Amino acid sequence: MAQVMAQRFTGTPVKRAEDPRILTGRGRYVDDVTFPGMVHAAFVRSPLAHARVVSVDTSAAKAAPGVLAVYTGPEMEALIEPGPYGMAAMMNIWPPAHSLLATDKVRLVGDLVALVVAETRYLAEDAAELVEVEYDPLPAVMTAAQALDPESPLIFEDLGSNVLAGPKVTTYGDVDRVFARADRVVRATISQHRHQNVPMETRGAVVDYRKDSGEVEIWSANQGVALVATVLSARLGIPREKVRARAADVGGSFGLKIGAQREEVAIAAASRDLGRPVKWIEDRHEHLMAAGHAREETLEVEAAVTNDGDILGLKVGIVVDAGAYPGLGGMVTNIIEGMVPGPYKIDALSFSSTSVVTNKATYVAYRGPWAAETFVRERLVDLVARELGKDPLEIRRRNLARREDNRQMVTGRSLAGITAYESLEEVLGRIDLPAFRARQETARNEGRYLGFGVATYIEPAPGTRANGPLGAEQMRMELAEDGTVLVYTAQMPHGQSHETTLAQVVADNMGVPFEGVRILYGDSAVSPPGLTGGSRSATMAGGAALTTARLLRDKVLDVAAHLLEASRDDLRIENGSVLVAGVPARAMTLAEVVGALRQPGRLPEDVDTELKVENVYDGGTGGWSGGTHCAIVEVDLETGLVRIERYLVVEDCGEVINPAIVDGQIRGGVAQGIGAVLLERSAYDAEGNYLSSTFMDYLLPTSMEIPSIEVVHLEPVPLDPVVNFRGVGEGGMICTPAAVCNAIEDALAPFGVRVLEQHLPPARILELVGVIEPE
Amino acid sequence: MAERTIELTVNGEARTVVVEDRTTLADALREQCHLTGTHLGCEHGVCGACTVLLDGEAVRSCLLFAVQAAGSEVTTIEGLSPADGSLTTVQEAFRECHGLQCGFCTPGFVVSVTAFLAENPTPTDEEIREALSGNLCRCTGYQGIIKAVRLAAERLQPANAT
Repeated sequence: MAQVMAQRFTGTPVKRAEDPRILTGRGRYVDDVTFPGMVHAAFVRSPLAHARVVSVDTSAAKAAPGVLAVYTGPEMEALIEPGPYGMAAMMNIWPPAHSLLATDKVRLVGDLVALVVAETRYLAEDAAELVEVEYDPLPAVMTAAQALDPESPLIFEDLGSNVLAGPKVTTYGDVDRVFARADRVVRATISQHRHQNVPMETRGAVVDYRKDSGEVEIWSANQGVALVATVLSARLGIPREKVRARAADVGGSFGLKIGAQREEVAIAAASRDLGRPVKWIEDRHEHLMAAGHAREETLEVEAAVTNDGDILGLKVGIVVDAGAYPGLGGMVTNIIEGMVPGPYKIDALSFSSTSVVTNKATYVAYRGPWAAETFVRERLVDLVARELGKDPLEIRRRNLARREDNRQMVTGRSLAGITAYESLEEVLGRIDLPAFRARQETARNEGRYLGFGVATYIEPAPGTRANGPLGAEQMRMELAEDGTVLVYTAQMPHGQSHETTLAQVVADNMGVPFEGVRILYGDSAVSPPGLTGGSRSATMAGGAALTTARLLRDKVLDVAAHLLEASRDDLRIENGSVLVAGVPARAMTLAEVVGALRQPGRLPEDVDTELKVENVYDGGTGGWSGGTHCAIVEVDLETGLVRIERYLVVEDCGEVINPAIVDGQIRGGVAQGIGAVLLERSAYDAEGNYLSSTFMDYLLPTSMEIPSIEVVHLEPVPLDPVVNFRGVGEGGMICTPAAVCNAIEDALAPFGVRVLEQHLPPARILELVGVIEPE
Repeated sequence: MAERTIELTVNGEARTVVVEDRTTLADALREQCHLTGTHLGCEHGVCGACTVLLDGEAVRSCLLFAVQAAGSEVTTIEGLSPADGSLTTVQEAFRECHGLQCGFCTPGFVVSVTAFLAENPTPTDEEIREALSGNLCRCTGYQGIIKAVRLAAERLQPANAT
């Protein structure tokens, strides 16, 4: 059993260490960083979705006031090495080869054509308007169906088709036998629509190349400085040690801001060329149009079911619209494939996948990038119930794996420790369903339409050891002169509150006050390599904090035993001081311990007096997060508006480090899921014009649409002897669209509506019930 | 582009700044007054991150030209914050209620809420939601923010003042 530590901070809603600076306007976001002599960049972007670039005339722009340089595609290529950028660099996705700025053609509205650098952003934008580009338009490939049509033009000639990955077919279990045994097969084609991360801070960077030393320093909005440095090093062709990537406060990301992206590589090249620091801050129009979009997938599914409601097996065929440039869209299907059985007892799966390129923004990671698996499965469960005339809850109860089953997913992942079934039962214990059904009936008679929906999911956060390598988390810790514990984490927080949560864990395991811990991050010169994402932080960084703090504590006690001439077993660290059992007068503060080590001769020579530790945490036993969400909605058939009357989350993320922060993560994810269903869509017209490039067109949820979200935590099930914190960042977003859509379908049941898509704005609701004609 | 010199009061201090006619108030505050707590989230007046007080009234500094603020009194998030580093009642309520995560939208919310509670010290929940609907937050789902406004309103009641 784990050593029992005094837990003063872990598990309590400690107020955030981040807040005082942010609340008083003293945060440091990338646009707040300036360098002496800094100049500003603006990009010329394509107004066409697909076209050959015939000529780019930069003469007028170069002559404009305050302009230092204008770079075309070929000029930029001469300054850099070829290769991938952003997340594609992490996954080494290359080819198809493509240039940084357009050389031969543009592939989406918003594609980069030229870069202008001027004394101010205003002047850079003025000059960008003077760049004359002649295009030879090509037909745009705007849908996956068009991309798969061999008659369509090629977006990348080198690729030979518009298929980026696949078709790939994998079979798990005996699919033929299971489908032959089924009483019936329920079929549906279910889609997710294109929408996007939309952090409140757009992307941006400041790059300072020093001609004297050949060193480059970049400050950017990102989720991990190490990958930024790696990409810049590769693309600029300079040694990794000469690149220092930094970040302080980052204004949200949700999967978007990974690595150095195209724009950041381009301004770094310009900084080196000009010998001046260059800043680029993306505007919202650029961001919505070209920073990256997510989620556009269509899934054809078949479920082999018995008349009693057992789901025996699935056939799933997915096509991902990966957008214009290679990114996550080429490989996200692998995660969807592994996860689609979820917490259900499904014995056979056939999964086929294809990713295609289109003339739209590149597919990027967005909070639970594989969420299609939950959406399609949880919709399908309800569709099966409807077809069999049964209650969707009964289908879930029959088919959910229970913890005591100790099953594996048919795709291979161990389901050890899952609490999906318990979460469903807990939801049902908190909702008076018979009373709701009675109220629903009465309301229907009055022409009001209420609906109830649930959805259940699990999330590898980080998953169990049996699922393969979890990735290791490095951490360094040392005692400063004043006794403060300095913690160098690989995490790059951008809303996750690691300055607070990691300090809570360290304080408890080191025996110091919360204020006695400083979390340091965001500097590739000193931060261990890593990334914040994938709901890994709680387990991996939390586990690293816990185990590293104990190593440092042990080192301090070794040294203190000599200094205090006491048995090590009689010592403990409490509230920042080393105490000797039974002899309160002989206590030493940690600052005194550090100070004593500076005096020569205080300790025998063979004692290690370096109060520093480096540690790698491997994830331990790991585990799942998961839960069940429940939505009660009312659909207004005059306006098509959906009002969420109640939203309940029953959730298991293991041992909670800070309940306020955990609940905040869940609520934020649920709000994004609600936005995805009711409001948000990254829309194009048939020619490839982008239609959602302002906040008047791309609607984010406001305080008017998001209800109070009730969050209940299940009693944690310990899997690991030491670390049972599990990630919680993505779950809210993964589960919500299915719960809301299931509730809407329930509300519209009198009209025989089947919800086969995720985006249900008012007009679509009215189409589904036949109030207005479909477009 | 022609420049002109304007005078205004920023956070109680008389300032003279040289701006182009097209320079937004937000850019003048950030770049010339070095008050970077005012954030730009959309630059088209929807997200509210750039909210400041202009003669006591909450405005979007991305939609105003600096020249329109000539002769006026501007208060930014830095000006609302006590000089000793402590937090105002509204700021403290945001902290206690976990009303912020990444924090990029936060200064705009704090300024808007401060103006709102000055105007309506005893808001209903519905009024709070409506008052917040002009500021976008992508992280919190608003629940902590709504709770913070309620708590701040309560603490700001004269009977509760310390």
